[in-house]
Amino acid sequence: MTRKQRVLGWLVILFPFVVFFISLSVGVVRIPLGDVFKALLSPFFPAMKEGLPENVLGIVLGVRLPRLLLAFLAGAGLSVSGASLQALSKNPLVNEYILGISSGAAFGASLSIVIFRQSFPPQVSAFLFAVVAVVIVLAISRKSDSPIVSLLLTGIIVSAFFSALLSLVEFFASPYALQGLFYWLMGNLGWPGWGALSISLPLMATGTAGLILMRWRMNVLSMSDEEARALGVNLGREKLIVVILATLVTSAVTSVAGIIGWVGLIVPHLVRMMAGVDNRRVVPLSAALGAGYLILADDLARGLAASFEIPVGIFTSLIGIPFFILLLRKSKRIWL
Amino acid sequence: MRSFASLGMILRPAIVLAFILGALFTATAPSVASSPAQAGPFPALTVKDDLGRTVAVPAAVKRIVSIQAEITRLVVALGAGGDIAGIDYTMRRHDHLFKYIYPDEARLPVVSMAENNVNLETLVSLKPDIIFASPFEKQIVEAIQRKTKIPVVALASLGDAAKLADELKLVGRILGRERRAEELAAYFNGGLGRIRDRLKDVAAGRKPRVYMSFWGSLTRTPIRYDPVAIAGGLNLAEKAMPDVLGSAGTTVNVEQIIAWDPDVILVHGNYLPAEREVTVDGILRDSRFASLKAVKSRKVRYTFGFWNWWDMAEVLLETEYLAALFYPERFPAFDLGRRCDEIHKMFYGLDGGFAKLSAALRCDEWTHD
Amino acid sequence: MSLWVKDLRFDYRSFSLRVRDLRIEEARLTAIVGPNGAGKTTLLKCLCALLPVAKDSLFLGRRDIALLSAEERARLIAYVPQEHGSAFNYAVQDFVLMGRAAYIPLLSTPAAADVEIALEALAYVGLRRYASRPYFELSSGERRLVLIARALAQKSDILVLDEPTTFLDPKHETELMDLVRRLAVEKKKTVLLTLHNLDMAVKHADAIVFMKNGGVVAAGAPDDILDEALLESVYEIKMSILRHEGRRFIVK
Repeated sequence: MTRKQRVLGWLVILFPFVVFFISLSVGVVRIPLGDVFKALLSPFFPAMKEGLPENVLGIVLGVRLPRLLLAFLAGAGLSVSGASLQALSKNPLVNEYILGISSGAAFGASLSIVIFRQSFPPQVSAFLFAVVAVVIVLAISRKSDSPIVSLLLTGIIVSAFFSALLSLVEFFASPYALQGLFYWLMGNLGWPGWGALSISLPLMATGTAGLILMRWRMNVLSMSDEEARALGVNLGREKLIVVILATLVTSAVTSVAGIIGWVGLIVPHLVRMMAGVDNRRVVPLSAALGAGYLILADDLARGLAASFEIPVGIFTSLIGIPFFILLLRKSKRIWL
Repeated sequence: MRSFASLGMILRPAIVLAFILGALFTATAPSVASSPAQAGPFPALTVKDDLGRTVAVPAAVKRIVSIQAEITRLVVALGAGGDIAGIDYTMRRHDHLFKYIYPDEARLPVVSMAENNVNLETLVSLKPDIIFASPFEKQIVEAIQRKTKIPVVALASLGDAAKLADELKLVGRILGRERRAEELAAYFNGGLGRIRDRLKDVAAGRKPRVYMSFWGSLTRTPIRYDPVAIAGGLNLAEKAMPDVLGSAGTTVNVEQIIAWDPDVILVHGNYLPAEREVTVDGILRDSRFASLKAVKSRKVRYTFGFWNWWDMAEVLLETEYLAALFYPERFPAFDLGRRCDEIHKMFYGLDGGFAKLSAALRCDEWTHD
Repeated sequence: MSLWVKDLRFDYRSFSLRVRDLRIEEARLTAIVGPNGAGKTTLLKCLCALLPVAKDSLFLGRRDIALLSAEERARLIAYVPQEHGSAFNYAVQDFVLMGRAAYIPLLSTPAAADVEIALEALAYVGLRRYASRPYFELSSGERRLVLIARALAQKSDILVLDEPTTFLDPKHETELMDLVRRLAVEKKKTVLLTLHNLDMAVKHADAIVFMKNGGVVAAGAPDDILDEALLESVYEIKMSILRHEGRRFIVK
């Protein structure tokens, strides 16, 4: 690795932490960084509260901190899931929802929002059905001859099936429930409170950590099935572990924040363009870049206009796609 | 292809949402008037509906199908309830008072499921003389008229009280119940006028700043809500979206609510208590809002809000309720229960309206601290 | 380590493989030859357990291959495929490093020692200078050598190569055969490969296995088994064995 690459690598790792802290002070109400730190420390050192304007505590600890933590972990998690599934399916054009997670989660959320309401919160239902979708995909694709192609194909089919179920639920929904559902589908990092996050954040962190630990293994898993087996990999078991971890992370994100697309596809690609295809670098750098990217996108979503808020999922698409096209055209070396 | 699948998951709901939002509470821009419908051998009246369409309506309207809840209620209020031949799904399943103001409603066939899903066969088999629909999507309204050969009039007030009164009069004209329409309109406008008069001298700077949490979400709020405006409140979200978009509501950032620091927070109370995602209690206990004036002075209350469009009786009631909430010293004698009974008796001939409404919404608890 | 095929069966659609009592000697270069469809590649894949193998049918040394875990097996036998196609263009060194997979736990990354082994393997095949080059920038012959280096990094006693000389020009063909010969002689590896080119087999191999229709027709040192009748029965055309300058040549 050259000196320049090393420096770049460290910059990428530091990037999300820097934007995290800066973003804590950015928003409808401008809060100077000093006050931000005081507010952050105040649960441990109550004396820090003195002198702070009254709404600062509520804003920093109650509004921005959970939101930014979620953006950080969701961005990291989605990127790492995307990178892992790309390695697994030996295809850099695969995204983190390819196993049917987004459709399953959407259907689960619709069941909750439209039919069950309080007795079955959308987060739980979304998570449950996301996992169900993946289980179905795995079960079906196991039976066929060519495991990887059928994994993707089955993912597409199962996604379509859950989309159809979703449409069915939408059909019977009252306009009020329908509205709620559509907003859920578009992705919003601002909804979940500390309650929901206390469960989903650890899930995201665990899954992401597991995938990062497996980063070298993914090089081997990106070989053809035959080669990977010849190299001594217990293919069935290791693929399952990666799928489980990626599903855990992506479902945890989707269940609290809705569907935020174009993170798991774009970020690993960007990293590969900068740092090559070795997953020892791609996976952790994707986590870092993804975290920073989603924080920035969310800053835009909530800061662009004071009085209305565009769902972040729309932003990640609107930013991600053109940027990606630009980079593809400029880059001479595409590590494909 | 996989990338497009994920793109689809984002775009599809966004596009459909834009349709629903734009259509549910917004009058689409008037467009080229379609040719008048064939309304039978003796077309008596030509009206212009909210889609800008010119519709020829028969002289004697004996059978009415309304798939727009707001109009259904107006028809009952005008005394033409007996002429209703078919209703929409929300009236059957989601309305709180319909079974009381129309005791016989169980026998009425449901003609439409969701907003844009009308069973044309049922509709035609009922042989209505007129169909009332919402100005949701022009193509749907025109398709219904084209396929059934029955005049369709699309109307909705969309948060505008004056428009609601005009709507009442228009429906009154169509149904030949002008006198009753005038009576109700006078009652309605009179009630609102009294409130306006008593608040005439309130300076703009002294008006309570109000934030409304509507549609079951903390951050979704209407841009225009006349009951608040007439009751002398200032809707903080009024300028939130550029007017040209004509949106009914917007989503604000939680931070924005904190930054605004409203004097009063209103929560959408027409949801059944078991189905409320946002509650007064929840807001009062939310640590993010601990610093807000409204929370400290416990001026966080339920109000009715939209419910399958609007109920004219409820609009009047709500405006009086809000006026008393915002200016208690100017409306000391306001009694929610008494006024509810009186207004519902006037509009629908209903006795004990408050008890019935409270059974569903527990609005008897709204005026207590 | 030697290989013993006790009783191997593999059925696939219209094709059946049945090999009994075949011994592959250790530290020798053995070539498997035969016409197309004889089952050479299938046999090779079974030997590496890339195709399902029943218990008590195949032994690596004394160990029943069906009872080994994937890791244990990979430490005993390494497989060099004919070709490698991939969506990702790894650097040659990273590529070879993957050969260490059987020694690196699931949640770990390669240690410096693993990197050393990978570089040594590259050096042995003569491509140390290409360590940082992307794999797909190499010529097909060089890529073949990288695949061999990866297999060497597995540090297994047995090395199995599938048609390693296809598409190579004569010079590279010879170089490659010299390389695998050295592996048998110098490094004492048991090298097993399939070949189309009978001349190469006859020239370099210590033992030849003739296959036809899913079975072994003959196996042994060329001196012992090679004759024109055998060749005709395997390949179904008349062939002559010529001697020139002490070497044998097969002429059709």
